[in-house]
Amino acid sequence: MLETLEYIDVPGSDSGHEITIYALSTCGFCKRALAYLDTKGFAYRYVYMDRLPLETKNAAKQVLKDRFKDSVAFPFAVIDGDKHLVGFIEPDWAATLGEAGSR
Amino acid sequence: MPEKNLEQTERFASMVAAKQGWVLNPDAEFTRSLEEGLNLNWNRYGYYLCPCRDTLGSRAADASVICPCAPSWKDVEETGQCYCALYLSPAFAASGDAPRSIPDRSGRD
Repeated sequence: MLETLEYIDVPGSDSGHEITIYALSTCGFCKRALAYLDTKGFAYRYVYMDRLPLETKNAAKQVLKDRFKDSVAFPFAVIDGDKHLVGFIEPDWAATLGEAGSR
Repeated sequence: MPEKNLEQTERFASMVAAKQGWVLNPDAEFTRSLEEGLNLNWNRYGYYLCPCRDTLGSRAADASVICPCAPSWKDVEETGQCYCALYLSPAFAASGDAPRSIPDRSGRD
């Protein structure tokens, strides 16, 4: 069902990873995470979960919870379909994504 | 529930910080974005839902994460910041260290 959500695509010079961000429009670390991806030039897509109907959001959270066996907090990043990051801690994101252009 | 404007919400956040002996995050842009988030949450839900948590659909279900959220005292005491990093301990603010995402102890998930 995650593919039925309406994502916003952000182009970037580095499309070496498939990056999807589940975020809240009101959350500071979500903004930080998106700004980090922008600054590093990563292409990504994101969806603001707080703007979805409650049932849709709950269903999406359940899918993420089941797939990654982790609690869902924001930002929640899915990298290449099989890795995930919860929250924004820049060194963790850098380690998972690598710096744009360094691969 | 009458709507609130950003100024009222800024006053709310300042009063919470003062009452608890915390300080607002000195990163003015970051703090403002959280206050805007709180303000939006008041105007769409009727209560100050933490801007870093999503609603479970009712005030009762969200009670533990209405700002200042239930885990905030322990979070500020142990990590120097609340979950959102809107509120910091004075010592953490003075350290100049950057707040970061911390685990959500609200236990709602």
